[in-house]
Amino acid sequence: MSVAEYAAHETGHGGGSAPHRRGLLMRPGFIRAAWCFAVFFLVGLYLVAGIRWLAGWDPIYDWNIIVLVGGLVMGPVGFLLGLGAFDYWLYWISGRPTKPDDHANHGAHTWTDYFKVNTDHKVIGVQYLATTFVFFVLGGLMAMLFRAELAQPGMQFMDTQTYNGLVSMHAALMIFVFIIPAFAGLANFAVPLMLGAPDMAFPRLNALSYWFLPIAGTMFLASFLAPGGAFATGWTSYAPLASEQPIGQIFFNMGVQWAGASSILTALNFLVTIITMRAPGMTFWRMPLLVWANFTTSLLVVIATPFIAGSQFFVMFDRVMHTSFFVPKGGGYVLGYQHIFWFYSHPAVYIMILPGFGIVSEIISVMSRKPIFGYRLMAMSLLGILVLGFSVWAHHMFVAGMADWLRVPMMITTLLIAVPTGVKVFSWLATLWEGRIHLNTPMLFALGFISMFVIGGLSGIYLASVPIDIHASDTYFIVAHIHYVLFGGSVLTIFAGIYYWFPKMTGRMYNERLGKLHFWLTFVSFNLTFFPMHWVGLVGMPRRVADYSDRFANLNLIITISSFALGASVVVFFYNVIVSWARGPIAESNPWRALTLEWQVSSPPPIFNFDEIPQVVGGPYEYGVPGARHAILSGGAAQPQETTV
Amino acid sequence: MVRMALIGIAVAIPVTLVAVLIPWLPTSASKQMDRIEFVFWFATIICIAIFSLVMAVLLYSVLSFRAPPEDLSDGPSIHGNTTLEIAWTVVPAILVIAIGVLSAIVLSQNGNAGTNPMVVKVTAQQFAWRFEYPASKNLKSGTLVLPLGDPIKFQFKALDVIHSFWIPQMGQKQDLVPGIDTSLVITPTRTGTFSLVCTELCGLGHATMRAVVNVVSKDDFAAWVEKQQSGGGSGASGAALFASAGCSGCHAFTPAGSAAAIGPNLDNVAASAAKAGQSTEEYVKESIVNPNKIVAPGYAPGVMPGNFADTLSAKEIDALVQYVVTGAKK
Amino acid sequence: MSAHAESAVHGHDHHGPPTANKSSRMDATVLGMFLFIGTEAMLFGSFFAAYFFVRVVNPDASSIWPPPPYEFPKFVAGINTVILVTSSFTMHWALQSIKRNNRRGLQAGLVLTILMGTAFLLTQFIEYAHVGFNTGDGAFASVFFGLTGLHGAHVLIGLTLLTIAAVRAFRGHFSPEHHHGVELPGIYWHFVDVMWLVVYATVYLL
Repeated sequence: MSVAEYAAHETGHGGGSAPHRRGLLMRPGFIRAAWCFAVFFLVGLYLVAGIRWLAGWDPIYDWNIIVLVGGLVMGPVGFLLGLGAFDYWLYWISGRPTKPDDHANHGAHTWTDYFKVNTDHKVIGVQYLATTFVFFVLGGLMAMLFRAELAQPGMQFMDTQTYNGLVSMHAALMIFVFIIPAFAGLANFAVPLMLGAPDMAFPRLNALSYWFLPIAGTMFLASFLAPGGAFATGWTSYAPLASEQPIGQIFFNMGVQWAGASSILTALNFLVTIITMRAPGMTFWRMPLLVWANFTTSLLVVIATPFIAGSQFFVMFDRVMHTSFFVPKGGGYVLGYQHIFWFYSHPAVYIMILPGFGIVSEIISVMSRKPIFGYRLMAMSLLGILVLGFSVWAHHMFVAGMADWLRVPMMITTLLIAVPTGVKVFSWLATLWEGRIHLNTPMLFALGFISMFVIGGLSGIYLASVPIDIHASDTYFIVAHIHYVLFGGSVLTIFAGIYYWFPKMTGRMYNERLGKLHFWLTFVSFNLTFFPMHWVGLVGMPRRVADYSDRFANLNLIITISSFALGASVVVFFYNVIVSWARGPIAESNPWRALTLEWQVSSPPPIFNFDEIPQVVGGPYEYGVPGARHAILSGGAAQPQETTV
Repeated sequence: MVRMALIGIAVAIPVTLVAVLIPWLPTSASKQMDRIEFVFWFATIICIAIFSLVMAVLLYSVLSFRAPPEDLSDGPSIHGNTTLEIAWTVVPAILVIAIGVLSAIVLSQNGNAGTNPMVVKVTAQQFAWRFEYPASKNLKSGTLVLPLGDPIKFQFKALDVIHSFWIPQMGQKQDLVPGIDTSLVITPTRTGTFSLVCTELCGLGHATMRAVVNVVSKDDFAAWVEKQQSGGGSGASGAALFASAGCSGCHAFTPAGSAAAIGPNLDNVAASAAKAGQSTEEYVKESIVNPNKIVAPGYAPGVMPGNFADTLSAKEIDALVQYVVTGAKK
Repeated sequence: MSAHAESAVHGHDHHGPPTANKSSRMDATVLGMFLFIGTEAMLFGSFFAAYFFVRVVNPDASSIWPPPPYEFPKFVAGINTVILVTSSFTMHWALQSIKRNNRRGLQAGLVLTILMGTAFLLTQFIEYAHVGFNTGDGAFASVFFGLTGLHGAHVLIGLTLLTIAAVRAFRGHFSPEHHHGVELPGIYWHFVDVMWLVVYATVYLL
């Protein structure tokens, strides 16, 4: 059934979208969200004040705690309640008969539906991507601001606290509310389709975990308004500095909690969906590698993310409850923070790259018209990275003053993680070999990813070696390395994924020429921006500095100019996406002649993905195998693609 | 195959030139840095080989196997090759373990201070470095002066937050962590003036938290110690204290040639004193000893260290006050 | 909680989604709850890590725990342990009752469990008031309040879930076939109990 038919059907059914005629104030939406936020904030305020009054603590109005409880915990809960994220559950909880599930909140009929609590995984996927790209643009603009400051030594147009704030905000936005959730968005769209499932296992939870995300991002940004400015301790937010900074810091501590809760709930949803909702015949060894990648990523998220929650709680307690988790005077242990933080944040870099590996595997196989080389080893190497990923966290702490005996074991595990990563790179290359390579935009980004990620991986070898790391850590070499893996790695794969699934998401085709222009602009300006950072770091420029010695001036000027070019390249992307979405040519259901399930249905897919659940009969990458099929679909969906021999 | 090898060489040559022609590392000034350089070049050779191999295969594939858009055929259905897969698991593993073994050896050499090294105690706080020489009757200094040739063991203490000690030409780096004692070994091999920088974000003055490092011959070092202890040196002078106590890291002050903007500009201190209704001398002294009592408008309290009364002698504080009062605009 | 399982029940003329294939014998909601408990256990893990750093790794840690003159109320907490462990049995009884279609048993079991959980929380609260130290009195206190407080928050979540189950039980929901609404809070409650045993052993006894 098409979307239009479904909408007509829905209206005939009695207008499922408005079961009760409610006034503007009571209807779920942004107006109710606004006043619920205010009410919950006040509840939080008087809860704090009341407890402090009863306990006789002075002052009764402690604004540190009121902002924390009222503004950063209760207020957002009120916002979600007002938006309608809890409506169904509240009916259910109160024991009232829940209305028959009429899917009123499922699918998008007009653009306003994207601003509601929606339970359709495809809508949520688009919501994720649109939201994360807003934060991507803001984070990028901040990077250009502080790059402008760094164009010359000395301070030109901002003070050092503002500079530190911008650097920290840039990283926080890019990591917590761009890269991690952008992958969650792509996977949200693609994974249920690829599995042959009608939706995620818990659609309402899926909607809720999306809405945590704008809350987290807004919370980060709101810290600019706090007295003393935005949090300014870097995205690593090391104690004890973080517990002594102005109040903006707790916006970071709590923003991370919301973003973390969002990714935990999404990951949990993915795991349950992948385990319990695969189509008949879809064994683990027939799953596309994107699904494998999200399976391992989700395991990482579920196991590791609570640790960053813990670390931020402790820093916050040290501030507002005067505990001494990381205060040496009270018997605390400063390095404990770094161990707990990196126990999450190292796996987090795999959370930020494994889904990209999945995307690239899909694209390379399809665009080379060949099966993935060594499919099982590809899946096993993901699991290898998962296991090794938990045993390397202390390589971020080689100069931190931790126990000396930890250094060499951590170095060895870190070096060994290059092995499964190398297996993936070599397998992609072998997939290319003797293929029929179609060099369109997604493929260009995928190949660009391989070359850039290899550079990032090799500079990682230097950093794994303890003696070199002792020289290079906390310098611009680190900045270069992290951008080669997170921009050259993750962001390029996000672009690749968006171009690849664009026709499926929107039903329209993007402009191929602009896509290629975007790639080449990005590729060249990216290298000009970040490659010189290796050099400037090794010869002596520390990172996170607002000012630097005159001898680094020339290189910094080049970096700044290139970074503006990199910023400009994104404009091409947005122009292409927006214009193509509105006016692009109508896309076929399977423009890439791919075998995976999402391409076997119409573009965009029907509201419940499949009229009947497909039967999976073979592997997902059987290109060039005579007569091979991945799945058999029945019903009104597009006919499965026959592979040409 | 020949074509691919040519592409590989075509990639390897520019990459090697980039690796060799650009002075990636600063000119070494310590034994430890010499060893770090050795590991660095060992890893670089391996990395050039791997990068060239990957790019050769990638570029060759793109050039040779590119299909025109109207070509709807599929490639050969190759699913894998066990020998190849084992090879590219085992060979990289051997290479990285080789790097690991070499690194572990160098690490243990770089941490070895030998018997009875000279000890320098380093104290960091927002945003200044202080050095103490226990073997020279606890001589204190704001400039790090080191004798050439023998291993020196640094013992670190941080008073407030985490800082990090790095002299780029000497390679070694170590965080200074409140509540935890850390240490580092450096054997200077070259005389000259270097810069010590803080590499761990420590607050708003992080970028300018630097100190001057002078490596001198053993004789010159002994002479320097002598001069400092006899009091005839610059140790007691206000100008030297202004730099060594870290004042110049945060305050602009024309006589000292500093332009930092973390704290108030001291050229105008007389005017501020007048506003507070104190004599300039009283005002400056109070601001050093008890900085949070009067905080200049536009600046946050708690930024300036509050422990100068403990770390400087009364004589030194007086010298510092005199220096600031005479140097400020009247 | 799965929309698709339910939609098959009231499918009538309404065209809903196709029924998803069940590719695992495990129920989606139960699996979800176990994964959630896994991630909760890791959150406790981070607090235990902080405890480990403060008490074991820290070179300046006092050899006596807690450092004198402070003491932890082992006895009161021991009584609390008994209360909480007992409540696990009443929870189990409630679930078994509804499986045998004994609605009275379900209701009584849930109410007893909630009462004991509330008693636990009240005891804990009184313990805080009389313990003789505050959050600001050192790292041992940070760890003590951190771990017991985190656990207390989980008791509160568990009680909320149980209250929801109780409300629905008294309104006539649940049957021998459909009792996920009792089973899931039950699993969570057992987790909270087990976690308490670990907290009690490490913080109070060791």
